[in-house]
Amino acid sequence: MAALLEMKEIEKSFNGSPVLKKVDFSVEPGEVHALMGENGAGKSTLIKILTGIYPKDGGQIYWNGNPVTVDNRKDAASLGIGVIYQELSLIPTLTVMQNVMLGKEQSKLGFVNAKKMKQKVTELIEKYGFAVKADEVVETLTIAQRQTVEILKALSEESKLIIMDEPTASLSAKESDALFDIIEQLRKDGVSVIYISHRLEEVYRLSDRLTVLRDGETEAVLTKEQINPADVVRLMIGKELSEATASNSLRKSDAPVRLKVDGLTKKGVFHNIGFEIHEGEIVGFAGLVGAGRTEVMRCIYGADPYDAGTVEFEGKPLSKQITKNIGIGFGFVPEDRRNQGFTPLLSIEKNVALTNYDTLAKNGFVKAAAEKKLGVDMVERLAIKPGDSQIPVGNLSGGNQQKAVLAKWLSRDLKLLIIDEPTAGIDIGAKDEIYKILEKLAENGTSVIMVSSDLQELLRVSQRIIVMRKGEVFTEFSSGRITQEDVLMAESGILTKEGEADE
Amino acid sequence: MRQENMRRLISVASLVVLALVFGFTSSGFFTATNILSILRECAITGIIAIGVSFVIITAGIDLSTGAAVGFVSMLCANFLYYYALPAELIMLISILAGTLCGVLNGFIVTKLRVPEFIATLSTQYLFRSMVFVFAIRESGVITNKKITDPGILIMGGSINGIYLVTITFFALAIVGQLILKKTKLGTYIYATGSNRKSADLSGINTDKVRWTVFIITGFLCGIAAIFEIGRIGSATTDLGTGLEFEVIAAVVIGGCAFSGGRGDIFGTAVGAIFMAVLQNGILKYNLPTAAQLIIKGVVIVIMIVFDSVYNQYMQKRIQQKSNQDTQMAGGEA
Amino acid sequence: MNKKMDIKTIFGKSQRLWILVAVMLVLTVLQPGVFLTAANMKSILLSISVYGIMVCGTIFPILLGGIDLSVGAVAAAAGAFTVTWIVDHGFTNGAVVVGVLGGLLLGAIVGVVHGVIVTRFAVPPFLITLATQNIVYGVAQLLTENNVIACMEPASFAFLGGGRLLEIPFSIWIMFFMAILSYIILNKTVFGRNVYAVGGNAEACRLSGVRSRMVIILSYVASGLTAALSGIVLASMNRQAIAKAAQGYDNYVLTALVVGGASLMGGEGSILGAVWGAFLVGVISNGLRLVGVASDYHGIVKCIVIVAAVALDAHVRYKKSGLQKSSSLFRKKEKA
Repeated sequence: MAALLEMKEIEKSFNGSPVLKKVDFSVEPGEVHALMGENGAGKSTLIKILTGIYPKDGGQIYWNGNPVTVDNRKDAASLGIGVIYQELSLIPTLTVMQNVMLGKEQSKLGFVNAKKMKQKVTELIEKYGFAVKADEVVETLTIAQRQTVEILKALSEESKLIIMDEPTASLSAKESDALFDIIEQLRKDGVSVIYISHRLEEVYRLSDRLTVLRDGETEAVLTKEQINPADVVRLMIGKELSEATASNSLRKSDAPVRLKVDGLTKKGVFHNIGFEIHEGEIVGFAGLVGAGRTEVMRCIYGADPYDAGTVEFEGKPLSKQITKNIGIGFGFVPEDRRNQGFTPLLSIEKNVALTNYDTLAKNGFVKAAAEKKLGVDMVERLAIKPGDSQIPVGNLSGGNQQKAVLAKWLSRDLKLLIIDEPTAGIDIGAKDEIYKILEKLAENGTSVIMVSSDLQELLRVSQRIIVMRKGEVFTEFSSGRITQEDVLMAESGILTKEGEADE
Repeated sequence: MRQENMRRLISVASLVVLALVFGFTSSGFFTATNILSILRECAITGIIAIGVSFVIITAGIDLSTGAAVGFVSMLCANFLYYYALPAELIMLISILAGTLCGVLNGFIVTKLRVPEFIATLSTQYLFRSMVFVFAIRESGVITNKKITDPGILIMGGSINGIYLVTITFFALAIVGQLILKKTKLGTYIYATGSNRKSADLSGINTDKVRWTVFIITGFLCGIAAIFEIGRIGSATTDLGTGLEFEVIAAVVIGGCAFSGGRGDIFGTAVGAIFMAVLQNGILKYNLPTAAQLIIKGVVIVIMIVFDSVYNQYMQKRIQQKSNQDTQMAGGEA
Repeated sequence: MNKKMDIKTIFGKSQRLWILVAVMLVLTVLQPGVFLTAANMKSILLSISVYGIMVCGTIFPILLGGIDLSVGAVAAAAGAFTVTWIVDHGFTNGAVVVGVLGGLLLGAIVGVVHGVIVTRFAVPPFLITLATQNIVYGVAQLLTENNVIACMEPASFAFLGGGRLLEIPFSIWIMFFMAILSYIILNKTVFGRNVYAVGGNAEACRLSGVRSRMVIILSYVASGLTAALSGIVLASMNRQAIAKAAQGYDNYVLTALVVGGASLMGGEGSILGAVWGAFLVGVISNGLRLVGVASDYHGIVKCIVIVAAVALDAHVRYKKSGLQKSSSLFRKKEKA
């Protein structure tokens, strides 16, 4: 029996640097095939080629043994490839039925046959035992329910292959279980699933086969019997890399406590979070997407409200107002750089100055010379390229944009910097520079909280690593030799080393 | 209760409250004649509001409707005066001209990518200007000429006391509601306004949808113009001034959200009646026109602010509910 | 360096500057000895001075990505207040001072209401300013009791809109003064910096500790204040107050701003551009009149000018966003 899908020697490079180097990948009918790899391994690119979002540079895709071309989403859909997107693509104010049938309504003279469509959708729902009703409005559903609507959408198109990209990222344990049951059903029904996830336990439980990608190459294809978490992690990271990036520098700090968080809770988002940050310490926050790290940091900073718990800064309760917190030495570099980090139309100088008008202005008037000097100084100090403080930040490369965002805070007397995904989408050279900046800050007594999904980065920069999982602090690494495997396993809820839980 | 029904209930409730207030504080409000006249007054606003509801549900806006009605009315008056065309032809021209206004708006919005409100604001200037271009002049001075064609004047009349315009409004409202709820176009209108990106991904040509709703609005402006000149019996240069705002207010009070994807023609009809009741009731107090304007304006502002607050509140509640459900489900983790 | 930037901000939208130059050139050729004369230029400046003053404040909400459509009504109401106060209080200079301050206060109050409703209740700016327009217009009617109220005295009031200083009408001086004031606020103060920043990315500003809400409210106050001032100048110029005084001024203002390079998406635009825009609108109106196009057609021209300017802007933006797409593609590669 021929494979349902076969991708052979797929190649892709962006701006000359190869991302996929002759990758082979195949899916059998009715199998759940997990696709794993570190960030940057090429998973998303491979899927985007399969669904026609990116054109491939080389290689061939076969469907049921026949060579096919997939130039756009429509091609993919007509073959029978459905995708469940991470950012759900439903219409919130329409009903489940309308969403499932959107763009392919059964109609006569423009009038839709709601009865027939409802019947069809209800049949599908009953067949798989989904916990939604056809005439519920999507915006009133939980995220898990919305996901099942997405799956319904794919099923209604008679998809033979459904791609799920981190589907459990924002689901609770129970909801995840329900999803696994659905996947089980799909398998029985002969529908294949490509399951992309960082969550080892899920992959372990679900998949018939597993393909590991590393640095744009197929590292291994494992069958169900061969899958065991430790091996998979090792394959994902690679032995040499694992050794080379292990951290020996984890340590506890004796310096006074600067930030103390206790019992911090936001309903449905995170629960009973507690930790301490000392002066001059860099603490990394590890966790999978949806673990609640970003949300915790935003609440501490004052950007979002929280429901319960206390935050103390140098022994005093912390204000919930951003402006006040900046006044006592907070800095915040958000995850979503483009939408929250900077004002794209404004120059580097003006962006940097934005947080500094307490010193750059007198009686409301800007001291233009000082403002300009700060811009020039920062461009020089952080080696922002091109070296002109008058260039709009929107025109810079990702790395330089991030430096510009950092520059907002560096001229201040910073006591605590919260930095979320400091190097996402940044090239290696700029990464190193940013690490050096963070290390220098810590040397000068600034405490740094670094949320990151990049394991190498966490191990390289952090003095302690706090691992969050499903809205709670799972464990903390603060001594001994820690490898990427250890962190990755902890993120999935498996403790390899005795981590010291908080208190 | 579903949010849609809840919002409808609020619209109806505010209408009832307003009517009761006027009923008890002024005389002659709850009489058959007055109610019929309210239903007449709401009809022009209501007819146009059907189209503007479509536009607002797609998350757009149309500020040109008042000027479009003014322009089309003047065009008809002009053709009647200078060419004495038959009434049927005038009606056809009216509808055609109105539709063309909509085509132009849709073109500027979808093809030139000009944001809706600035596009329709500038066509408002254009249509207003066209009013003067087509104004009837005697030795260079704009003159207001009476329309004598009985075929046009009859459009301002009534059958058994119920005005033709009222009947037309209710008929069009029902058609509008059917389009929204029972046709593909209706579903696409909601989809476009609620999440344009997703709608595009589902293979819906959202630009076509947006253009279509502008054309429908223009078409309805053409129909409204016929009734307007039929009732007044002439076309003045300031005909339709400020009408666009009445229309938008009716739509908002009826529960269409500016963020798109929400509301229906039932609500809009209630909103149109609300506006007419407001106007009619205030008149009964015998206040100076300035005070009437202010009271009316304040009521509308309150309704607009309420609508916005309500939408935010609902959004928050939905969010919270979905979060809590997730947490409850996760309690056993 | 700074100077270069300022020149860049004007010339960066050079197509618009060239439109002005081209229009003036054509008119000069078409109407030799009539168009390009000191007298005609002065008359253009005089004709734009009222909405030229408005533009200096209305640009604030525009820079935030908002809009103020109530400026015409506010101008009428402020003018009406000032005139009725002066008339009721015996045409004294003291009455002029109080009347003018009262008119300005009225504008400021309307601005506060707009700002608060926009920030607290998230009502779209165009909707709320359209709605309050009717109320403010009602106030103007209430003040004038729907009559034309003449006010020829005292000289100090008549001077505002009708006087001359160094041979140049005083209203033009006021316009230039407001333009300079506006320039200083936008370019030299923290508030001005914050206006641009909030207009460009409100969330990033919030996370940087900018009190965005205050910035927005003050911007609407600025708009209300200049609208009121222009209304007072207009009343003085006409020596009368009438509720319909400034009807349609909102569209002059908007045309001037859009033509002057302000983006309705916020974050982009300069006061110099806005004054250029006002001047261009004045030149076009003047030119159309000189060439003999009836004023009936001016709305058509305005429509074409606005649509052309915004469509061009949208086109440039679209092309740019195409480039952004490829750059985000590049980003994804590293993240993938």
